[in-house]
Amino acid sequence: MKIIPRFVLLAVLVALGVWLWFVLFPSPEKIIRQRLIKLARTASFSSGEGNLARLAAAEDIAGYFATNVEVDINVPGRVQHTLVGRAEIQQAALGARERLSGLKVTFPDINITVAPDKQSATADLTVEANIAGERDSIVQEMKFTFQNTEDGWLIARVETVRTLS
Amino acid sequence: MPAQNPAEGLNGRGQSQVPRWLRIAVIGRNPKVTLARAAVLAVLCFIVFKFVLLHIRVEGISMLPTYADGSAHFVNRLAYLWHEPRRGDVVGIRFSGGVTNTPAGIHHAANWLEPPHVMLLKRIVGLPGDTIAFVSGQALINNQVLDEPYEKLPCDWNLPPEKLGADEYFVVGDNRSMPPELHMFGKARRDQIVGKATR
Repeated sequence: MKIIPRFVLLAVLVALGVWLWFVLFPSPEKIIRQRLIKLARTASFSSGEGNLARLAAAEDIAGYFATNVEVDINVPGRVQHTLVGRAEIQQAALGARERLSGLKVTFPDINITVAPDKQSATADLTVEANIAGERDSIVQEMKFTFQNTEDGWLIARVETVRTLS
Repeated sequence: MPAQNPAEGLNGRGQSQVPRWLRIAVIGRNPKVTLARAAVLAVLCFIVFKFVLLHIRVEGISMLPTYADGSAHFVNRLAYLWHEPRRGDVVGIRFSGGVTNTPAGIHHAANWLEPPHVMLLKRIVGLPGDTIAFVSGQALINNQVLDEPYEKLPCDWNLPPEKLGADEYFVVGDNRSMPPELHMFGKARRDQIVGKATR
């Protein structure tokens, strides 16, 4: 009669152990996914943000990127822009926060591929951005290349992807 | 003296105060069976609307006048289970997320467990192997004018001929009154096509 409660207890303990293992030792895919979600949250802002908060957020955003990062945005007929290095990223983030009254960024449909040596990874994702006061959202497919550094997984390259060729 | 229990809603003789017909209408003759049916229905609805019929809300004017900005529709992922997409079909096209990683490599295929959250809504005008061009706003497929009754807005596009590959479909919106630079159109791979949109 006591075998069933013991079996249930064992199953619960095994499940707890597996869960704990994944929490303590997350896979690179999970780490990168979490970093992207955090980056989207940090890039989002609403009106009424103070100057210090803006500066802190811009610095925080730059921290997600490698020092020699290259961001190549190329949407034919709309925008073409290249940023190189953390400093330019920080300036661009600060400029966006000063110009816009609010922004909500999300990365739906993230697809991560980690290289066999686990030193680099690519994330193919959709960027959805809603600017405060504008009805339609901006949607763009993008590719993020990550590098595994001493400071963790950092974004080394960002480029736009043409969904329809 | 027997006391009535208000929580049970019974009268002194142990009978419910709720009319029998109302009880049957609401919870059925057998509450356990009704509960089981409700559970099955809930699971079925979850599976259907999470993985098969994807709810979409149109954003933008590129599919006017067929699909109005802000209107709600579904994309049926089972539509192309038995046949390939056809000319004139309005389809949902995924941006990212169509790739499945396995130890054997990367596969471009529809990942049924991860339906896309954001899609493009476009009409298929060119099928694999076709050559497509636009001359004075008219779509030419293999040098033949394509009859497009759904296209009601004036168009003056001129685009050079383009040959589609074995796995490529040419998709475009119905509103070609907007400049081509502002209209997202072009070649989509078969694995990018999520399903057929409903009207």
